[in-house]
Amino acid sequence: MIDKSREIIRAENLVKTYEDDSVPVNALRGVDLVINRGDFLSIVGPSGSGKTTLLNVIAGLDEPSEGRVYLNDKLISEMSGRELSDFRRDNIGFIFQSHNLIPVLSVEENIEYIMLLQGVPKKERHKRVEDILKEVGLEGFTKRFPTQLSGGQQQRVAIARAMVSQPALMLADEPTASLDSATGSELLDIMRSLNEKRNMTFIFSTHDKLVMDKARRLIVLKDGKIASDEVKE
Amino acid sequence: MHMFVKLAWRNIFRNKRRTIIAGTAIGIGLASLIFTDALMIGMEINIIESATSTFLGEGQIHRDGFRQTYGIEKTINNLDELVSDLKEEEIVTDFSLRTFSPAMISSPANVSSVELVGFDPSREKDLSKIDEAITEGSYFSGDGERDIVIGRKLAEILEVEIGDRVVVTVSQAETGELSQEMFRISGIFFFNSREMDRGMAFVRLNKSQQMLGIGDGIHEIALKFIDISLSRNKQLPFWDRYSVNGNEAVGWNVVLPQMESVFALSRFSIYIMGLILFGIVALVIINTLFMSLRERMFEFGVLRAVGTRPFGMARLIIFEAGALAVISIGLGVILGFAVTYIFTLTGIDYRGIEYLGVTFQELLYPVLGINQFIIYPLSLFILTCLVSVYPALIAARMSPVKAMRQGLL
Repeated sequence: MIDKSREIIRAENLVKTYEDDSVPVNALRGVDLVINRGDFLSIVGPSGSGKTTLLNVIAGLDEPSEGRVYLNDKLISEMSGRELSDFRRDNIGFIFQSHNLIPVLSVEENIEYIMLLQGVPKKERHKRVEDILKEVGLEGFTKRFPTQLSGGQQQRVAIARAMVSQPALMLADEPTASLDSATGSELLDIMRSLNEKRNMTFIFSTHDKLVMDKARRLIVLKDGKIASDEVKE
Repeated sequence: MHMFVKLAWRNIFRNKRRTIIAGTAIGIGLASLIFTDALMIGMEINIIESATSTFLGEGQIHRDGFRQTYGIEKTINNLDELVSDLKEEEIVTDFSLRTFSPAMISSPANVSSVELVGFDPSREKDLSKIDEAITEGSYFSGDGERDIVIGRKLAEILEVEIGDRVVVTVSQAETGELSQEMFRISGIFFFNSREMDRGMAFVRLNKSQQMLGIGDGIHEIALKFIDISLSRNKQLPFWDRYSVNGNEAVGWNVVLPQMESVFALSRFSIYIMGLILFGIVALVIINTLFMSLRERMFEFGVLRAVGTRPFGMARLIIFEAGALAVISIGLGVILGFAVTYIFTLTGIDYRGIEYLGVTFQELLYPVLGINQFIIYPLSLFILTCLVSVYPALIAARMSPVKAMRQGLL
């Protein structure tokens, strides 16, 4: 029996078809998926298997051609652009492969950005920025700009930005792809620790073996379909 | 709001070279508009002053109908009362009584038709610039009642010099009989105005009245006001006060309505120039914003992904356009002021050039006005924000995924 109170995402029969130079490309071909709160999950598969597309559809960044996505029991595919923006802002944190940060904003301002959109008071914002930077090991970096940080430090800021609004779900698209393995491992430890401490759900789309190893659940996508869904002991 | 302003301001400086080039182009456009406007105002003032101070006067009083027919029998009514009232007028600084009549002027060598004008030389001196335009001889220096002052061109036609005799023939007002008098050339003037240099001859008022047989009558009172702008005001009570007893009082702009039309045309041409300029500015801004948008596609995708509303994206683009406008306006205002100010000190030498039938007598000084620094910059700012709505809408409607995908290409 499905424990609905644990569910954070339910995807039903997701189909996504792109037009690439007028040639239809089936990125997702009927994906059914349930993700529970606190999952630390990797979606893996070869290039073109539909990993990023699945992540985008789950996050409401892209519309499925067919099927439905429920996030916290809300059908996100029927939301307006504004509702979706607000929903993402309040419920989902994003970490991308690179270019995550706004280069003209300092570390502090980058992290503050979402809280500003949420209308969090200044004092509260500053406290949360300080706390989260401490948590990702970047104390004292508040006034630096992204160009003054290493790739690993930039990704930590991206994690901090994604975490600071305390979203229910964190989506990370190839978060370690542009990092060396030591830095990647360090970041994954940070995320794993946040996952354990805050019971936050993490979904990774990745090629990286390191991420696969650290994940507690592994979903393998092949040709737009789930080939396997394994929960590690 | 504050974050979006900060973001927009910093974004505009991400590509400094492009911002400086775009800002300078827009700024130069604004500066040229400010300068042209100042030049047009200066030119208008110069033309009005040249036209009115040369001979026309800032205002005129005639008998009703005189301006239409130039009939020499149409002398001003109630002259004595009028003159005494004018002496009491606070807004009138000077006035001159004149007669006008068509005449034939002949020398031993040639004959020519002229407009014979009679006036009191001492009063006329305060009103027109005939005395300043004398190039040979003198301006009624003695009290010889047969002195005549003519233009250089007319002197050439008649082949006369200072001291030579000429005969002037006019038709008398009541009888229509011809009246002839001999005059001696006492002065030759040069206004560089074909109409005046070729077609006018000046004699003393009492002599012209005698020749025309109009007693103490006159045809025109030319007026000078304490402020030239009064003469342009058609609502000035002065005009009604003196447009009585069969007389009419009018400003120079009624006497020369074509000049007002040309000024209106000049102002219209400034608006057209402004429109063209603003059109170019709009294209520069749209181009700059689209280049900036294209370069930052991934970033826009990220901003949308993390929860920036479509309106927030549009607002960011409009703010960036606003920031570009502020920079451009700053440059344009400084440049426009500096260039125009230099010319307000040095002037532009158009002297001797005839325009609209008026010859520039003085250096042309552009006139700086507060409106040039409010209306044009404000219009530019509003236009910039308006044209940025198009790229802003595109940014607002952008799908986060498509933006990020394009940003990686």
